[in-house]
Amino acid sequence: MIKRGVIYLGAGLIGAGAGLASALLMSGLWSTKEPMEFGNINVDGWVSDFAVGSEQASPYVRARVARHGLLALAKSEAVYFVRGTDSEGRRMNADCDYRITGSSMPALWWSITLYNTADSMLPINDDNALSVDATSIVSEAKNWEAVISTERPEGASNWISSRNSDGFDLLLRLYVPDEALVEDPDATLLPPVIERLSCKGDAA
Amino acid sequence: MKSWIGPVAVLLASAVGAHWATLQYAPSVIMDRALTTLKNRGVAKHAFTTPQRITPQTQVVVRSSPDLFYSLCRYDLSEFDGTLKITMGEWPDYQSLSFFDGSTNNFAKFRGTGKSVSVRLVRPDLEYLDPDAVVSPTNRGVVLIRRLAPTQEAFDAAAEAAKGDSCGPMRS
Repeated sequence: MIKRGVIYLGAGLIGAGAGLASALLMSGLWSTKEPMEFGNINVDGWVSDFAVGSEQASPYVRARVARHGLLALAKSEAVYFVRGTDSEGRRMNADCDYRITGSSMPALWWSITLYNTADSMLPINDDNALSVDATSIVSEAKNWEAVISTERPEGASNWISSRNSDGFDLLLRLYVPDEALVEDPDATLLPPVIERLSCKGDAA
Repeated sequence: MKSWIGPVAVLLASAVGAHWATLQYAPSVIMDRALTTLKNRGVAKHAFTTPQRITPQTQVVVRSSPDLFYSLCRYDLSEFDGTLKITMGEWPDYQSLSFFDGSTNNFAKFRGTGKSVSVRLVRPDLEYLDPDAVVSPTNRGVVLIRRLAPTQEAFDAAAEAAKGDSCGPMRS
C-alpha cells in the first residue's frame, strides 16, 4: 500500500515538473539564448503577433510578452516585429558587422532598436547609438541604410552599436500603424533587409 | 499492466495542470515583480515619476525604447474608495496614455498628439460611482505615458511637458 502511494506521489511530482518545464520552455520564460521571435505573422523573417498587449493573446504569447516585452501596447497603437537573423538566416552577434537597408514604413513613426537576445535588455555601452528611428535616419533618397557594428564606421551617417552584446536581435516598432498594415502586413510592410558584411576572423 | 494506468493518469493530469497553472499565473507573477522593481527604483504610487532618459545604464523594464520618454504611475485602487484621476499634459508630437493591469493586459489606451487627455479610473466594484470612468480589471497596475523623444533636446522638452501630467485620487 505504501509502495503504491509512493508510486502515485512520484508520478504526480514528475508530471508537475514536466508540466512546469514545458510551459516555461514553450512560452520562452526559461532563460535560454534563443531569440524571442514569436507569433503568427512573419514578413520576410520579421516576426510579430498582433495579439500582443491584449487579452486575446494566447497564454504562451502573454507569458512571453510579460517576460520579454512588458508594457507593450495593443495593435491599434503600436505593432512590434522582431528579427534575430540576417538575410541568410544566421543568428546575429557582435563578432560580425551588418548593413540594414530599408524604405519608408506604413506608420506615423518607427524605430529599430538592438537588444541582447538573452535578457531582452539594451547592451551595456555608452555609444548612445542603440537605435535608428524615422526622425533620426539620414537618407538622401526614399531608401536608407544603417550599419550595425561594435565601432562607428568611418563616414557612416546611421549606426547601431552592438558593442558588449553577445547575441542580439532587432525590434522594429511601428507606432500608430496604418490600418492596412494591421489588416494585411504581408502586403503592406516592406521590412528592412539585414546583410552580413564581415566577421572577425574572416580572411582579409 | 493495469497497475500502471493509475500512476500514468496522475502523471498526465499533473503535467497538464502544472502547464496550465504556469501559463495562467506567470503574467501576474512577472507584473508583481515588475511593480516591486519599479517601487524600488523610486517610481511613485498615485503620482507620475519624471523618468531618466532610457540608456543601458538606466533601463529597468525589458525592451524599453531609448527614443521614447516614459512616465510611470503605479496605482493600487484597494487603498481608497474612490476614483483615480489621470491627466496627460499637452505635447505637440506623438504621445499616448496607456493602462496595464496586474496581469500585464493593456486594458485601455488614449492617444493625445497635440492635446491634453484626462481619464478617471475605478475598480470594478465602484463602477456605479462613476459609470463613465475606465474600469481597471485588477486593483493594482501601472499607468504609462509615452512621448516621442528621440533626442536629448526632445527629451528635455518632454520632461517640461510632464509638469502638466498628474495621477492621484480625485478629491470630491
